[in-house]
Amino acid sequence: MAREIVRSFTLDALEWDPYVTPVDLAEATPEQLNALKVTPSNTKVSAYVRVLAHEPETLTERTPLFNDIMYAKGGLSRGERELGALAASLVNHCIYCAAVHANRFIALEKQPEIIEEIYARGIKADLPEKYQAIFDFGIELTAHPDRVGVYQFYHLREIGLTDLEILDLIHAVAIFGWANRLMHTLGEPVREA
Amino acid sequence: MTIDVVDHILGLTGSPDLAALRGQRADIRRLTESSYEAALHPGEPRNFSYAERAALAGRMARLWKSHELAAHYDGVLHKQDGDAASLRISDPENPLDGATDRLKAIIRHVDLVTLTPRQAEKSDIGLLYAAGLDDRDIVTLAGLIAFVNYQILVMAGLRMLRDN
Repeated sequence: MAREIVRSFTLDALEWDPYVTPVDLAEATPEQLNALKVTPSNTKVSAYVRVLAHEPETLTERTPLFNDIMYAKGGLSRGERELGALAASLVNHCIYCAAVHANRFIALEKQPEIIEEIYARGIKADLPEKYQAIFDFGIELTAHPDRVGVYQFYHLREIGLTDLEILDLIHAVAIFGWANRLMHTLGEPVREA
Repeated sequence: MTIDVVDHILGLTGSPDLAALRGQRADIRRLTESSYEAALHPGEPRNFSYAERAALAGRMARLWKSHELAAHYDGVLHKQDGDAASLRISDPENPLDGATDRLKAIIRHVDLVTLTPRQAEKSDIGLLYAAGLDDRDIVTLAGLIAFVNYQILVMAGLRMLRDN
């Protein structure tokens, strides 16, 4: 089946084709299989995760770190974490990451118009106050980590975020500084043409 | 218990409130630390020595003007008896005269993906293969760049909380 490379932001379900050869499950070491969490009942592993399995020691730490940052109870809402992830993915142009996390935001917050505005106007999106502050912080921390200071802090306080919510937002944006640098640089988003 | 690297670099022993806040996300703090170990001091460093990893990390920290973090990696590099080439690449201001083609390709990629990841393309991976890196080397390098940039962002955010 013909596949086309996706070059603009979308909400479509995408596939991801790696630029490097992923680990072949039939030839994987016990350490790689452990990092991949491959079991007889779970043998479907994405190409992305099989690429990362070249470094099983890192993958073993990264998977639970990512899950804790995005799913830990309390603090910033799940949807607002997704907005931080989306802001980072927009700046770093990770089309695959953006599609996944824009869809999660819509599923959690039930506000597709927020994503429509972000996809239409990019980093200049005009959003309701609280979303705006969270989105802007994600853009700023991603694009200019050397400039984040009192101004950004004041904005987050002004919309009423607690210290824990701010910490959760920092982590959500930062883990996409990580994820985007893998997914956008080691492969490309594709869909069936 | 050993001292957490991020707490140590930011001097959070002197900021008990912020240290306690990080404690509310203890799993994230712990996994950030174990990811640091995996990226900088893995059990099997293979084609990227500990000194080279620390030097590249220091370079990334400098690219984002994360001076406290750069100083930390300088310390790591000195403890590992980093060779002259590693010491030079830890500062982007230094010329790359005499660097091998492999090292030049690695540094080009580090600078590109640290500062402008949005501009990275398939051909950039092609340049790494052309310089002799294999699949695993490329994933190792991408993982190191990705982790250190995560660390830079976490530290920038925590510094904002510490100073305000």
